[in-house]
Amino acid sequence: MTGAPRLPSGSRSRLLRIRSWLPLVWISTFSLSVSAVTAWADTGPDFNRDVRPILSQHCFKCHGPDDAARQSGLRLDLRERAVAAADSGLAAIVPGNTDQSELVRRISSKDESEMMPPPEAKRPLTDEQRDILQRWVAAGADYRPHWAFVPPRQAPLPAVELRDWARSPIDTFILARLDAEGLSPSRPADRATLIRRVSLDVVGLPPTPEEVDQFVADDSEDAYERLVDRLLASPHYGERWARRWLDLARYADTNGYEKDRPRSIWPYRDWVINALNAGMAFDQFTVEQLAGDLLPGATLEQRIATGFHRNTMLNEEGGIDPLEFRFHAMTDRVATTGTVWLGLTIGCAQCHSHKFDPVSHREYYQLMALLNNADEPELALPQPTLDEQHRRNVEQAQRLLVELPDEFPVEADGESTPDEQRRAELDRRWSEWLAQQRSAAVEWTPVRPVEATSNLPLLTVQPDDSVFASGDFTKHDTYQLRFATEVRGITALRLEALPDPRLPADGPGMTYYEGTKGDFFLGEFQLSDGERPLKIARASSSYAKNRFGSDPVSAELTIDGDPQTGWSVDGRTGERHTAVYVLESPSSGEGELHLIMMFGRHFASSLGRFRISVTTDPRAGQALDLPEEADRWLLLPDEQLPEEAREQLRRTFLLNMPELAEPAKHIRELLKPPAHPTTLVMQERPPENPRPTYRHHRGEFLQPREQVEPGVPAFLPVLPSDEAANRLSFARWLVSEENPLTARVTANRQWAAFFGRGLVATVGDFGYQGDPPSHPELLDWLAVEFMHHGWSLKWLHRQIVLSATYRQSSRVTQTLAERDPENRLLARGPRVRLEAELIRDSTLLSSGLLSHKIGGPSVFPPQPANVTTEGTYGALSWTSSPGEDRYRRSLYTFSKRTAPFAMYTTFDGPTGEECVARRDVSNTPLQALTLLNDVVFVEAAQALGAEFARRSESVEDRIAFLFRRVLVRSAEPEEIEALAAFYQDQRARFETGELDAKAVAGGGDGDATEQAAWTVVARILLNLDEAITKN
Amino acid sequence: MINICREVTRRHFFRDCGVGLGKLALAGLLTDAFGSSAAAKSSTDSPLAPKQPHFPGRAKRVIHLFMAGAPSQLEMFDNKPELKRLAGKPLPPSVIGGQRYAFIRADAAVLGPQYEFARHGQSEGELSEMLPHLAQVIDDVCILRSVHTDQFNHAPAQIFFNTGFAQPGRPSLGSWVLYGLGAEAQDLPAFVVMSTGSGISGGAALWSSGFLPTLYTGVRFRNQGDPILNVTSPSGFDARLERDSLDLIGRLNQRQLAVEGDPEIATRIASYEMAFRLQTSAPELMDLSGETQETLDLYGCQPDKPTFARACLLARRMLERGVRFINIYHEGWDAHSDVAGNVKRNCAATDQASAALVADLKQRGMLDDTLVIWGGEFGRTPMVETNPALGRSLGRDHHPQAFSMWLAGGGIRPGMTYGATDELGFHVAEQPVHVHDVQATILDCLGFDHERLTYRHAGRDFRLTDVHGHVVRDILA
Repeated sequence: MTGAPRLPSGSRSRLLRIRSWLPLVWISTFSLSVSAVTAWADTGPDFNRDVRPILSQHCFKCHGPDDAARQSGLRLDLRERAVAAADSGLAAIVPGNTDQSELVRRISSKDESEMMPPPEAKRPLTDEQRDILQRWVAAGADYRPHWAFVPPRQAPLPAVELRDWARSPIDTFILARLDAEGLSPSRPADRATLIRRVSLDVVGLPPTPEEVDQFVADDSEDAYERLVDRLLASPHYGERWARRWLDLARYADTNGYEKDRPRSIWPYRDWVINALNAGMAFDQFTVEQLAGDLLPGATLEQRIATGFHRNTMLNEEGGIDPLEFRFHAMTDRVATTGTVWLGLTIGCAQCHSHKFDPVSHREYYQLMALLNNADEPELALPQPTLDEQHRRNVEQAQRLLVELPDEFPVEADGESTPDEQRRAELDRRWSEWLAQQRSAAVEWTPVRPVEATSNLPLLTVQPDDSVFASGDFTKHDTYQLRFATEVRGITALRLEALPDPRLPADGPGMTYYEGTKGDFFLGEFQLSDGERPLKIARASSSYAKNRFGSDPVSAELTIDGDPQTGWSVDGRTGERHTAVYVLESPSSGEGELHLIMMFGRHFASSLGRFRISVTTDPRAGQALDLPEEADRWLLLPDEQLPEEAREQLRRTFLLNMPELAEPAKHIRELLKPPAHPTTLVMQERPPENPRPTYRHHRGEFLQPREQVEPGVPAFLPVLPSDEAANRLSFARWLVSEENPLTARVTANRQWAAFFGRGLVATVGDFGYQGDPPSHPELLDWLAVEFMHHGWSLKWLHRQIVLSATYRQSSRVTQTLAERDPENRLLARGPRVRLEAELIRDSTLLSSGLLSHKIGGPSVFPPQPANVTTEGTYGALSWTSSPGEDRYRRSLYTFSKRTAPFAMYTTFDGPTGEECVARRDVSNTPLQALTLLNDVVFVEAAQALGAEFARRSESVEDRIAFLFRRVLVRSAEPEEIEALAAFYQDQRARFETGELDAKAVAGGGDGDATEQAAWTVVARILLNLDEAITKN
Repeated sequence: MINICREVTRRHFFRDCGVGLGKLALAGLLTDAFGSSAAAKSSTDSPLAPKQPHFPGRAKRVIHLFMAGAPSQLEMFDNKPELKRLAGKPLPPSVIGGQRYAFIRADAAVLGPQYEFARHGQSEGELSEMLPHLAQVIDDVCILRSVHTDQFNHAPAQIFFNTGFAQPGRPSLGSWVLYGLGAEAQDLPAFVVMSTGSGISGGAALWSSGFLPTLYTGVRFRNQGDPILNVTSPSGFDARLERDSLDLIGRLNQRQLAVEGDPEIATRIASYEMAFRLQTSAPELMDLSGETQETLDLYGCQPDKPTFARACLLARRMLERGVRFINIYHEGWDAHSDVAGNVKRNCAATDQASAALVADLKQRGMLDDTLVIWGGEFGRTPMVETNPALGRSLGRDHHPQAFSMWLAGGGIRPGMTYGATDELGFHVAEQPVHVHDVQATILDCLGFDHERLTYRHAGRDFRLTDVHGHVVRDILA
């Protein structure tokens, strides 16, 4: 029961099955000729074609590139090692001499203790495989480099019989192979089929009947070419091709794992759409996504592009080790980079050297090192409309502030007017308040640490004496600070937790998962003079609020000896907060002051920026919830207080009056800084804080071994020596012309998008274990020309759809069903079920519901609400978007990893949990139920029902037009007849009330009977195989 | 001149297909008709056709009762009186080793067992007073007290138990079983997933087919709305309209098949017929009116309440209808606070029905070839979890080093308790069973050599047990 065999022997039994019950289909029982599809001209064992796959599958595991797994000192993947003496002293291969070749003896042995592969490996060779190896050794054991590891070269165009058929070199290569197989191409698809095919492929939408008419009527020679150019220029091109790229990018709108909370990274998705629409060259497309932030003068767009590798998951489960899951994100990045650009299963080398391909365990981590030196911030995007709104809000708040005193409630005392009363009361309270603040205000002197260290985060002292923490954080960080202050007789210390735009949600904490972004949790605050602890008598905080549980948090709890209790500021992140620590007795003042701050709870929650100040004032005690400037103002004698400062203080006073809490709340809301949309990006680490990368034994996070330097596998071209080895040089290396893989892998993936399978069927594996290309010369031609045409995807797409190969009819003839059921030889056009998104988009378009709006935050089209709640830990209440967002293109649907949009799952859509190079294409009853009963398809049928009920043509004419709307081609008379009969039957039932027309029609102001009858007809068409198939 | 190959003859589709597909003899095709898949095409047989395992297996089908959130073995299966004595004191660091914890600190104090234990049945299996119903069938089950895992966070540990790997992307146990054995059910999905309690940490990755063909994915049976999504016709559609619609869809598809010659169209036609049957078979399955009061009482099931008990009874009904693999997730065991209350609550919800399932299958002669699996993703610490900031007390944290589960039927030796932990319940002391060993043993019960049930993906042959796993022969009957 090993996995899918690579030879297309598969469809036979299914064909047989069908024949047994479908009278219309004759299928031959002729057994498939395997060699017909896979063989080149037979000239004895060819190393790459015949020999390496055997060695790779049966031998390399123990005698391949993995040093650790190697048995008996024998290595068969390199000729010089295979012909040399192994540990036994015998040579496995003596070229040309099968008698002396130990390999031949051992594979032929019947002795279980000698035979190779050994029985316990459970990988026995077939007689045919033994024969190939023997003949290969006999012929001299020639080794050839693996085809994919040699740069692509353009072969001369082969001679073909039907020279006129070929429209481009693509066709010549295809035809040459067909000639060799004795097959002929199919005739061209008819025009309606062709425009539907090319529209679905290029823009992901079917054509409208008008577009079809126009194309069919256009008999100019370049009609098709102009159609193609129009489609390539459409803004929907980017949407179509972005969705395919997002499969690779494992894009989703939630973080994954247990909590699976929403994230904002849709600006990256829009970047992909825009880049593809703009025809950005694939090399640039690559560089910006992998290293946009490192480009000189990186633009905002280029930084957004680095979201590619921020699509990894983020585990917010309580109690995780954040660095462990960062490591998992890194392994995902390495594996994804390997799949997308190199077409290599590099991920296999995470735990040990690759068993088959020449990627060592160490090289795996060297690749990781290239990608590993970045911080992962959230980038706020400017949005002028929001700023404008904020400006207006502030203006309004200022007006309201002026009027705020008027809101103060008074009870009539019968002596003075309410206004006088109010003024008197406010003035009295204001004087009291000011006096109170002044009594608590003391002069604070910032102290600058002479040393600031931690278990892991980098602490850097800023010009304003504050400390900024950066880099990696753990669940339990400890900061150690040493001060050499000259202030004597210190009575109290003040901790200012300071906001900073470099921190999550502007800080002051660095909490970025599980807790409130920007919050912190200070568990303990311990002081000493370097030898003896300095006892803290009491502590107070300007503001404190807990995020989890109902128990209190406060600065007082940071001196109770229990690190599980402490201080946090949930609800008011992005602001400055203070805590004051009063010493039991003033310090003697010998200069040294040591401070230990312990952070953390069940998630990382250290402070990101803070400052320590001291005072000698014995009055110090209460931390004030006032703006920073108030420190200074409150120390001034009343007559020196500037009017503006007085006004500010008075506003603070008013906003904090219990009697004015309601209007004050409104004003505070208005003053809140605007919430700009954000996106996840990469930001290269500063030179002073590089992140080291280690080789991890067995691929385990907890087993780091020696540190490794950034680098690429030795079998590939080297990185440029005159540049730093980082993401940028790596990205450029990936798309350099010397790289043998990237252009081939990319061209092959594009080919697969059009034809349903790649020239290399294993689109993500070009290594030894991957399938050999069906048309190697064509693949190389495409790769080379792709590079020569500036890595232009649009150019490549255009070449493919203009080929005669692509334009063939897709009908499966008897000959082709027997000879090439998987259409590897392309003697016919592609016929493939549409992807999930295309099915929904096509339905929305043909029913007239589709919104053409491009970009923006993801939307929530209708689906049963319990899809994202029932049995889902991170339940998300799925409230259908209103208006046109109900009917946006499917790539804008909010994508939740642990509970994906049901219809997409049913039609094989990805979850975004890992890179998907090729989607499965299944055909199941659940799909039938979806098309029959899912709300979007019912609404589409009802929309068509309402529209066609309003039309006045004959029933037959309406059916003919409806048919074209949904299926594009014109209906045959018998199809119209069948549909008309169905219409009449059901209409009669609606008319008599046997069926509830209103319920079926689903609303609308037309004739319910007509609407219902057309609804059920439309539902038939939307459910046909043809409607969900690219033909 | 292009030589256009002969095309499929177009016949007048009314003549041949006028009868409507519903009347065609489809019975033998429905299993295969549950779907086709491009990824499965190159296998030598239909992806869901019944297949023979490597050797005759004792179990033909599986019910996996997954206790998500991790039940406390110390309150249910693993009696540790020593913890009572040590209660309130920290464990020595030498015991803790370098273990990382989710919430507690390594020096947290010991919490004694919260419930009394007693021995039951001829096998004298030891259970706490929280499992009175399991005690009744103790001679039919095998308790493992020495299971251990690699993961200490819920989502990764649940994914690990169900797929053999801690990150999403690998096929689930149910998907592997379908891949290996194919389907038996004529008119229901072969791999069904139900859930009760709160939400499941691991999400859809737990029943994903991973890189296997997508049609091996588990199909959710839901508690609210349609049991299978979209199994109910839209408002206003009666049976005749649906039958007429399907007939017409079938006929038009037939015609297209004649024109295009693509066998996928034939599969599509069969899929629609299967969908039609599902619309009857799903409500029929959910309708418990045919069950006797005695049976309902055995499970503690109220037919209109979507409880764990109802899910267990539905599972039995599914087995009778040939469903191959059933997952019932019951989430809610994550006792970070008040472990005593948590165990009491969850046992009240699950003990009776779990035991009833074993008893019911036995009395119907189905236990012999049905494997029942009961357990969570890891265990809980011998140490207490108390956290004032989180408002927690008297709880237990996640404990990957040792936990308990039980198996019954399907080739498992009944009336056995296997493995033991040290006197602190901290480490496995005897007969350790790694999660990969559990997986290897389950596959063995089904007739598979876990090292040979492989699938080629990304250039390598993957298996459920990765490169690990040993069949626990001692617990096989």
